Amino acid sequence: MKPLSRRDFLKVGGLAFLGTAGATAINQNKHNHTTEDLNEVHLSHTMQQGDHGDLPGTVGEVDHEKNGFNPTDLLTDFDYGEVSALPNGQTLREYKIVSLNKNIEVIPGIEFSAWTYNGRIPGPTIRATEGDRIRIHFSNGSNHPHSIHFHGFHPGEMDGVPSTGPGGLVEPGSSFTYEFDAEPFGLHLYHCHVFPLARHIAKGLYGAFIVDPKEGRPPVDREMVMVMNGIDVDFDDANDFYAVNGIPFHYQNHPIQIRVGEQIRVYLVNILEFDLINSFHLHANFFNYYPTGTSLVPSEFTDTIIQGQAQRGILEFSYKYPGMYMFHAHVTEFAELGWNGMFEVLP
Amino acid sequence: MTQPTSQPTKNRFTFRTLILLLIPIILLVGVIALFLYTGGGLRLESPAPIENLDVERHVLERNKIHLYVRNTGPAELTIATVVINEAVMPFSVTPSATIPRLGRAEIHVNYAWNQGEAYGITIFTSNAIPFAVEIPVAFETPQPSSRTFWAFTLIGLYVGVIPVFLGIFWFPALRQLGRRTLTFLMAATAGLLIFLGLDTIAEALEVAAEVPSAFQGIGLIGIGAVGTFLLLDAISRRQTEITGSESERRLAIALMIAIGIGFHNLGEGLAIGAAYNVGEIALGTFLVVGFIIQNITEGLGIIAPVLRDRPTIGRLALMGLIGGGPAIVGAWIGGFSPSPILGVLFLAIGTGAIFEVVYEIAKLIKKDMARESMPMTVFSGVLTGMLLLWVTGLLIK
Repeated sequence: MKPLSRRDFLKVGGLAFLGTAGATAINQNKHNHTTEDLNEVHLSHTMQQGDHGDLPGTVGEVDHEKNGFNPTDLLTDFDYGEVSALPNGQTLREYKIVSLNKNIEVIPGIEFSAWTYNGRIPGPTIRATEGDRIRIHFSNGSNHPHSIHFHGFHPGEMDGVPSTGPGGLVEPGSSFTYEFDAEPFGLHLYHCHVFPLARHIAKGLYGAFIVDPKEGRPPVDREMVMVMNGIDVDFDDANDFYAVNGIPFHYQNHPIQIRVGEQIRVYLVNILEFDLINSFHLHANFFNYYPTGTSLVPSEFTDTIIQGQAQRGILEFSYKYPGMYMFHAHVTEFAELGWNGMFEVLP
Repeated sequence: MTQPTSQPTKNRFTFRTLILLLIPIILLVGVIALFLYTGGGLRLESPAPIENLDVERHVLERNKIHLYVRNTGPAELTIATVVINEAVMPFSVTPSATIPRLGRAEIHVNYAWNQGEAYGITIFTSNAIPFAVEIPVAFETPQPSSRTFWAFTLIGLYVGVIPVFLGIFWFPALRQLGRRTLTFLMAATAGLLIFLGLDTIAEALEVAAEVPSAFQGIGLIGIGAVGTFLLLDAISRRQTEITGSESERRLAIALMIAIGIGFHNLGEGLAIGAAYNVGEIALGTFLVVGFIIQNITEGLGIIAPVLRDRPTIGRLALMGLIGGGPAIVGAWIGGFSPSPILGVLFLAIGTGAIFEVVYEIAKLIKKDMARESMPMTVFSGVLTGMLLLWVTGLLIK
């Protein structure tokens, strides 16, 4: 007598009979709402969403101090290394990177048990000039073997891939020094290459690697680095949140302040694991795009670009008008899950 | 103490007995304390926190989603993030985002949902453990008002009260029938009830799956069904002791059938109300017609035992109300405050009541059989009853 499981209701369909009886009341309410809606349209212009629900975002603030880094500072934190000269006159840059297990509060109240380079996500932005000799003193302070694999020219034993030598897999407590010349010029990246690779990247072992051309790039007013990443807090090999420079919604909650007319250069790297593509869209503006930064001539003047994993490029733009402007993944799902930010353009 | 030794063990509750009773309990406390202190040599620490969060129901208001959650895990948990259709949404929790074991909380999200669309919600705890909820069809949750109250009353009226009374209207015609036909009808009633009982227990098992594990839905079915069966059995035995009259007894059985069917209809009302509440309802005209046809047999079942007597119209009406009315109450409860725990309990009580009534009818039939052997009548009757529901059920399924 009781075929009334919910599935059956869905299956039956047909003329809503009792449904109509009950829905009369609701429709009545709906009708009232419509007139209210009209009134609200005028009011809601001043509010962001009016009475139409909240904007996606987080409540509260993650503990940056405990995390050990603040994405706002990471934007302009370029590590030029310890500089000296080799006997042959070549510039030597030495960097220290240590891998650490660390819990990072990615969403207020949620700690992500991450693997990090130097305790931060992304790791330090390594910056050098084309032709410089680079030494990365890597020590593994975690309880898993790790490595650093740089994109760029280097000998095989410096590739940071298991079975290419001692640098391919650095055991916990061990260390290794990667040494090579910085080339070609452009925007590159580095990440751990120990297997399972997806997990080692998804847990946070990556960073940007900038090689400036010998003659330098044309000067701009501000340079910033943005590493687009995903966060899989429950380790089901699917991202739960998305971000730029580690913390979802950070630049939505803390807009990046720039001024009208200022020339901005963004070093944009995509290291997103699990998802096929990522993207960057700038509101109310267009930018010159230099894929991989290996040319000084832009390939495109656009407002949206797409990057697959490990793709990267340099963006140059300036704002004509003051105001608040969004930048976000135009994979809108990512935007609402954290990859959303604002430029606050001051007059 | 000065009792003669002839009854040494009868009701001699002394201080010594108390001590003897308490010794195992004291030892038990000691063992538990020792185990908690030393771990008993076992490594019982979980490498990851174990958490469980049940979303008991959701309420949709214009631009608002409310989730009623219960922490059914072994320890307290904290709600950290709410993601709706792949968007992290600001939210608030009352009374607190940290919920004690078996505690409840309400999560409020300002979300501009749309009528008729589907929503997937993921709630993350502070240990990054996700719990998913689905709203297959978004639908403004009916709020208790005179209008919705009347709507649910109508639902109960159509699927419960009206069909049962229609069945009872057969009374004048059926009482013209002979003894053999009456026995056939009784057997058919038993068949109806067996079918109903199976259906009720299947529904109880289905709802039990939605009950938070800490409340042991299957256990509730056992307690409700067995308890009701034995209680009704005890009541019926006592009645037999008090009144020897055969017709009084048959009236009592009719009443019990009405009660059993009433509980069944209560569960039915709950299911309809709850389905209506979450917007999963598409009750067509066709479905209601099916219900009326099927439930008419319930009214028939109620009057079958008293066909050879002359119960007053008042009594018949009362039994109809007892059998059909609970559908209305069920629709109210299911519609305004659906609870799988209550649902399981009502369905279990219905199961116990229905099977007890089958047992009572079997006893009546046995008495008739003593006067005149008619094994094929009983066989065909029971099967007819079951087939009747099966065939009319085809209309609804």
